[in-house]
Order: sequence, then C-alpha cells, then structure tokens
Amino acid sequence: MIAALRLEEVSFSYGSVPALERVSFSVAPGERVALLGRNGAGKSTVVRLIAGLQRPDEGTVWVGDWDTRDCVPEQLAWRVGSVFQHADQQLFARTVRDDVSFGPRALGVGEREVERRTDRALEDLDLTAHAGHHPYDLPPALRKLTALAGALASEPALLVLDEPTIGLDRTLRARVTRALLDRSAGSVALLVITHDLTFAAETLERGVVLDRGSLACDESLAALLGDVTRLEPLGLAPPPVAALSAALDLPGRPVRAADAAAALARVARGKPVP
Amino acid sequence: MKSLTLDRASFWYAATQSPALRAVSLDVAQGEVVALVGALGAGASTLLLVAADLAPRVIGGRLEGSMTRRDRSGIVLPTPWTQISGMAFTVWDEVAFGPANLGWPTHEIARQVNRALERLELLPLASRDPATLSGGELQRVIIAAILAMDPGLVLFDEPAAELDAAGAAMLWQLIRVLAREGKAVLLATSAVDALPDVADRVVWLEDGAVRAVGTPDLLADGAACDAGLGTSIATVWRAGGLPAPYPLTVAHAVRGRP
Repeated sequence: MIAALRLEEVSFSYGSVPALERVSFSVAPGERVALLGRNGAGKSTVVRLIAGLQRPDEGTVWVGDWDTRDCVPEQLAWRVGSVFQHADQQLFARTVRDDVSFGPRALGVGEREVERRTDRALEDLDLTAHAGHHPYDLPPALRKLTALAGALASEPALLVLDEPTIGLDRTLRARVTRALLDRSAGSVALLVITHDLTFAAETLERGVVLDRGSLACDESLAALLGDVTRLEPLGLAPPPVAALSAALDLPGRPVRAADAAAALARVARGKPVP
Repeated sequence: MKSLTLDRASFWYAATQSPALRAVSLDVAQGEVVALVGALGAGASTLLLVAADLAPRVIGGRLEGSMTRRDRSGIVLPTPWTQISGMAFTVWDEVAFGPANLGWPTHEIARQVNRALERLELLPLASRDPATLSGGELQRVIIAAILAMDPGLVLFDEPAAELDAAGAAMLWQLIRVLAREGKAVLLATSAVDALPDVADRVVWLEDGAVRAVGTPDLLADGAACDAGLGTSIATVWRAGGLPAPYPLTVAHAVRGRP
C-alpha cells in the first residue's frame, strides 16, 4: 500500500536558519499521527512542505505517489487538506458556507457534490447553525472550526492540521475528535501538530517527535505518553490523565480519560483490571 | 486596592439584540490573579475587551453599568499575529514599539524592553525578524511587548494557546510573579488544568452572566465537570464513579487515592 505521506531525508532552512535536518517518516491511509515537539522544532515547516508552500532543500516529500517538488499547491490540494496554525488567514468568504464550499468547488466537483460535502463537513463540526454567518462575526474558536470544515469538505486523502484545538474548550475539542475519528475510519490519513497532548491522547495513535529539526522519536502515542519520564527531555509535559495514571500506578497506564476512569473504578471496587 | 471594577456591566456588540455580557459585577485587586472560565460564547473574551476599554470605545457596541480602572491596562489577544505592529524588523524593536509610543525616555524604554525579553526568555531572539518566528515564539513576543509597557492591570486571553510545555510553564509562573509585584491579572483560558497553581479566584461565566465565583476548587465541582470546565483529574474521578469531593490535581488525587 502506498503511504498517504512519506518524508524521505528531508532538510530545509530559512536562509541561514536550519529548520529540518534529514527527517524521515510516513503516514499510512487511515493512520492518525501526532507531530510533536517544542516551539521552533520545525513542525509548522513540515506542514508548509506538505502543502507545497515550500520546497525541501534536500530529500523528498511524497504525497501518495506525487513528489511535491513537481506539484503546485493547487494540485496538492486534491490530496491534502491543510489547516494552518493561524487559521484566520485561510478564511475569506462572506459566509461560513461559502468558505467551507470553496475547496470542493475549486477542485471542480459537481455542484450537487459540493453541497453534499459542505453539508457533511458543517454537520460534522456542528457548524450548520452558523452557515450563514460571516466568519469574522464568529469567535476565534469557531473560526478555527470553520477552517477545519473547509479542509474536511475537500475530502482529501490526507489531512494536515496545525494546532487545530487552540482556544477550544473541552466540548469543542471533543467535537473535533469525533469528526477526525470519523474521517480516519474512512481511510483518511491524519497528521496533527499539537501541543495539546490531552487532545492527542484522545484522538491520535502514533507520535512523531521533532527536536531542533531532527526526528527524535516515532512510536505508539499511548506508549510515549504513558512513560512520563521520557517526555520532559523531548520538551513535552505529560497530559494530566497520563500523570494521574503514573502517580497512582494504574494498571495499563491509561492515557485516555475514559480508560483511566474505568481503571479507577475497578481499583476502587478492588477488582483486577483486565 | 481594586485595580478593576465592573458594576452590573452589560455589553451589546453592534447590530446584535442580545447582550454578550449580562449584569456582570467583578473586582480584580492589585496582586490578584482572577481567571475567567466558560463555554464558547460565555462572554470571557468580551469581558476582557470591556476591561481593556476597547469595547465599546474602539469596537463600538453599547455598555450599560460601569467599568472603572485604577491602573493602565495591557491586553494580550488570543490571536498574537494580529497584535504585531508590522513596523519592526527585529524582536527588540517590536517589543519597544509600545513603550516608545508612551513617550518614555530612551533609557527607560531600553530598560523595560530588556527586562521583558529576559522574563519571556526571548533575549536569544532579540535580533530576529518577527515574521520568521514560530507561533509560540510570536506569542511570547506579544506578551513581552505588553509587559514592557508596565501595565498595572494585565489582561490575557488564552495566553498559553500556542506555547509548548516549557513556554506554558514559564508563563504561568510569570503570572504569579506579576501578581507578587502588585499587578492585577485577569485572564481567560480554556487551560483549566493550569489554574489551581495560578489563579486566586475563578469566575465561571455562562451565557454572558456570572454563574459562580470561588477558589480554583470550583473546578472540581460536579456541575463544573458536567459543563466541561472541571480539571482533567476531577472529571476522570467523577467519570469513574468515585465519590465527591473530587481531587483537583494529581497531587490531590494521590492524597485521596481509591
């Protein structure tokens, strides 16, 4: 099976400032990957390379079987849906519906299909009630969701999301988790940059960590977050649930809230955890 | 001494029928950190705009009731890239933009800028072009730029949203230091897990009105957990069916382990 995304020995510099050095990893269809690391580790640069907004100095970024060096961003949009860190900059239409439908319409799919995709994306993120609003009349959190809905509406094979939960409360984060799990079940590959490790634990399955532009770690996210002693050297802080599991030595060291709650309940009842 | 007082403040955005704030009364004293929590649309960001005297004076709308400030305020908005001056080609000049516009003497501008850069651990980036910074670096620059103006009342809207773990920890500690120095701090945040170590008081806003005010223990309340505003630990404890009172933090959980 061809990977939805593959970085091969990718290096990139902003002038004399190196951002990435020989980074390699891949994301399979349907896989949910967190791209983690400190501020300035090179994560957002990866997003720009995948979207075709930058070209690698060395190495290759493959989107499916396309070398991004041979593609312009409009072509890559057929396969990649991106939400950038500053999602406000992606919004330009007069209504949320027009903004969300721009992607599929620009891809040239029929108008009926544009409507179907737009309706689905708005429903997935509970934005239908805001469809007629101007995006800039909405609070920042809903503007972020509007940009995400636009990426979903293009129905790409790969979603690349840069900090999709900034400013979202727990209810809205759960809404994003639900939408992403649904798309992943339909074989959409996810690469999500986030400092929100609570959201990552609930939503994603693999953790790729960048440290000063180099690949520092690539493994199961639950295993990584469950081993809290390894996080600090990588510039990460354990999410509270993982810290709780470690502090109470909960069996299986769960990192998701529902798993930890179940483990706590069993411990409280004196029953062994399966 | 009170730095900020809202007395039955209600606010309507322009061309809207229903108020974004409803009869909110709130004091923030010098040396105090008050945190605003609430669901989307609860009014926390609007309250900060009123406290900053941006609403209605700059953005329009209508205010009923009153807002009184004893100190000059500075506000860190939730979208740092919209707060950058666009007039500076180095981080140092960006942070100096505000103090320079206050008309301070050059030596005082330099002192405040260097102090703010040091506090936000930005001295290594002082000569960088702000346009080349990562989101988290830019957020620290904006916070430094506000602190360099030495406001007595500091208003933060989601200040840790773009920060990594170390940056967020540094910011929460800095907020406590600001309070010890006598500044009044009012912040809106969805990072409720940080608040037990940061906030003196928590104000729970709901649909523009104050629903509850209390110590951070409020975030272990069953109703707060049900509203999605409890700390992660309290929420997990409650979801596991363990009895109240729910622990607020990991340390509390260890003391009350099942």
